[in-house]
Amino acid sequence: MSNISALRRAVVVTAASALAVSAVMVAGATSASAAVTPRAGGILTFLEHTPRLDHYDPSRIYTGRDLAFMNSFMTRTLVAYNPVPGAAGANLVPDLATNTGVPSNSAKTWKFTLRPGSTFEDGVKVTCESVQYGVSRVFATDVITDGPGYLQAWLDIPKDADGNSVFKGPYKKDAAGLAAFKKAVSCSKDNRTITFQLNKSVADFNYLATYGVISPVQASKDTGDKYDLRPQSTGPYKIEENSKTQMKLVRNSKWSRASDPVRTPYPDEVVILFGYDEEVIDQIILGDTIPTAVSFGEPLSTNNDKFFSEASMKNRRMNNPDPYARYFAFNVKAMPCLEIRQAMYYSRNAKALLDYAGGSTYAGSYATGVISPLLATDYTPTKVVGPGSADFIPEGNIPKAKALMETAKTKCPADYKKATETGIKIDVRQSVTLNDTIPIDTAAYARAGIKVTFNPISSGYYPTVMNPEKQSDLSASGWGADWANASTVIPELFASYGGFNISQNLGDPAQKAFEDKVNIAMKTTDRAAQSKMWKALDAEAMKAFWVLPTIFGKAQFVWGSQVGGVFFWVPQGNPAFGKMWINN
Amino acid sequence: MGSKSETIHGTRSVGVIQGRSPRQIAWMRFKRNKVGVSAGIVSLTLLLLSLCAPIVAKIINVDPDTLNLDVLDVSGIPEVGISWDHPLGLIPGTGRDFLAQLLFGSRISFLIAILTTLTALTIGLFVGIIGGYFKGRIDNYLGRFTDFLLAFPAFFMIVALNQPMVARIEESGIAQGNSARIIFLVFFLSFFGWPGFSRLVRSQVLSLREREFVTAAQAMGATRWRVITKELIPNLWAPVIVVVSLSLPGYLAAEAVYSFLGLGVQPPASTWGILLSNATRYVTVMPSFFLIAAGSLVIVVLAFNLVGDALRDALDPKAER
Repeated sequence: MSNISALRRAVVVTAASALAVSAVMVAGATSASAAVTPRAGGILTFLEHTPRLDHYDPSRIYTGRDLAFMNSFMTRTLVAYNPVPGAAGANLVPDLATNTGVPSNSAKTWKFTLRPGSTFEDGVKVTCESVQYGVSRVFATDVITDGPGYLQAWLDIPKDADGNSVFKGPYKKDAAGLAAFKKAVSCSKDNRTITFQLNKSVADFNYLATYGVISPVQASKDTGDKYDLRPQSTGPYKIEENSKTQMKLVRNSKWSRASDPVRTPYPDEVVILFGYDEEVIDQIILGDTIPTAVSFGEPLSTNNDKFFSEASMKNRRMNNPDPYARYFAFNVKAMPCLEIRQAMYYSRNAKALLDYAGGSTYAGSYATGVISPLLATDYTPTKVVGPGSADFIPEGNIPKAKALMETAKTKCPADYKKATETGIKIDVRQSVTLNDTIPIDTAAYARAGIKVTFNPISSGYYPTVMNPEKQSDLSASGWGADWANASTVIPELFASYGGFNISQNLGDPAQKAFEDKVNIAMKTTDRAAQSKMWKALDAEAMKAFWVLPTIFGKAQFVWGSQVGGVFFWVPQGNPAFGKMWINN
Repeated sequence: MGSKSETIHGTRSVGVIQGRSPRQIAWMRFKRNKVGVSAGIVSLTLLLLSLCAPIVAKIINVDPDTLNLDVLDVSGIPEVGISWDHPLGLIPGTGRDFLAQLLFGSRISFLIAILTTLTALTIGLFVGIIGGYFKGRIDNYLGRFTDFLLAFPAFFMIVALNQPMVARIEESGIAQGNSARIIFLVFFLSFFGWPGFSRLVRSQVLSLREREFVTAAQAMGATRWRVITKELIPNLWAPVIVVVSLSLPGYLAAEAVYSFLGLGVQPPASTWGILLSNATRYVTVMPSFFLIAAGSLVIVVLAFNLVGDALRDALDPKAER
């Protein structure tokens, strides 16, 4: 799911895929004070580098860490991942619903029945209608942006001539569109059972129901774009303050423990403090000056040794493989020349950057594609890029890159001129590490005669690069499967209907044939046959160089001495924030 | 004539009473100020070293862009210290030569500081002379305008306008990347910097224009242009030199602050601000990096300030010496 920054630190993302994963991840996870009984009270503080999170509106959050956070404290969904350590954490449990969904009609129809007693923060009951309304919002694609796009693709609503849904969301008055939507997402008479009609069989539709795109929203409280600043809570906490310096969550008095089998709130308040310098965050945790604090991002790579070699930090750190494949997405529209895209891959100094980020101990391993090894069923080295491929040299294969540039010179002279004279512009998330990574990159690409410039973006990174108008030639990115099927990776990244296709590859000659194969794979219900197709498509996407794959990542988390109950929540790729408690 | 003066000399054993121009007096006073002279030598040396960075780097055989990644440990700290090859050692993270980085980095810092000072000075001189010389309504309008600018929260304006303005400059095609950022910094720093100059110049002009030599020139029918260029401007140099020598280090420090905040020049280029922001991340693991980067900035700013002080003392006719 979701996107992540390719530079280590930045917002970490998400989630996913758990099923496959587990053994490896669990081994890495550490649990502080598991033996002690959790205590209620105190203020749990998260220290964050960016000035705000990208989104708070449940329909718009798609960043793994933010999803894990909001779903732990505020947003209840129909079903949820079980917040327990180890492989069991990837199991679905009922949340607002009484079960994890009942499929019928060969998984084209899905039914969820709501449990009684759940309310919004103003005491209004959560009904099927409110969930239906929440689902309808994602169709207003001009207002509700950036969230997962599966509902638009899967719900059985007629499409117009352009292939868009005829339903345009609740903000445009259109009786016909609304009727079509209500046919696809319907409520029972008692307003407790919601039924989804899909346009094809989706055997794992209930995994999507762990996302905020299927969550209740009160129509009367919906403020459209502004809902992002102050969404209503259905969970144990609600927003008291959301400002430039902090987001403060306090207990939601209308939430009842009896109605919520998943959440066990401990702290009185949960606060995210924004805009802290990354080094300052690390020093606070290292010095334990705020013992109730948790670093919301990862430690700076230069500080990893201090965190992980220090014996006193033993119960305050963890280091796990994360579910993300990191890469730079080429804006293929701006960089149509395949040879130059290849030359960039071969001239990049992957070793220097991996070492800079902490080497195999902390940073991960060289990527072989966009499907992460944690998605074991669908993973195999592509042998096109990365270890196992013929031309891969970690320090950069300069003769190969130079030869490719030579070809480009005659084949696409305009692009060659841009690459060697004007410079290729790369979107990156603003971070102090740029002071080091930019010189490393600049020197590496220069070996093949490629000139690069950088566009550091300080807030709203993904909303910026996902806007075709604002995207530069390359954008640092990362993606993890939304759940254990590469159907949430390959189509999302490279198909015309993909929710995170920032490669802008639609004009590429190889795209049409590729997308046809994706469509076949999507329809394939034999999982073994399907996984074979995903493996082949991963290799094919690498051959087209729509992305420049970098690493399969690892993630570190650190926290203060009075924070208890920290463990790695496998499917979310993050700590289970809702299980943390203050031990003082 | 000749013989007469000789006889006077011969008879009275007192040295010749030579007339000395104000300039000579000032120079003599300046020379007497030991601190001022040594600060002047330090300032000039550092300025020259950094302006000639490419030549200096070649002579001592260091290069700012070469990465020495193989000598970094897992935390990015260089395993080699100070040596003949790298007189100030290597920078952590990338292993580039520290001295070369300082030389080339200070060049951009000086460039910004000098351009800003010159621009602010030119505007300040122009506005100040017009206001002071013509007085009356013109002076009134110009005066209120400078007051308005002086009251402006310049720092926050620069922080807020940085990204959109740089994007504007890049779109307009005037300059790209760091050149655009340098233009932005110079433009805004001088935009908010000239009112100070202008006030000083105006007050000088107000007093100068009432002096006898100006009245004499006017009585002899000199044009305004002549009065301004031949009578006023030459007499403004003293205060101007002092202000320049004091504001240059101010802009050096300002550049460092903006680059530190990520608002100025971007890597891979280097400036004092970037080196400092880099150094803060390694301050606990490699304090020498921070100390040298910060120390070098302190030395330059201090040296320029001391020269400024010495010049002010030397040029002030009311000073005791």
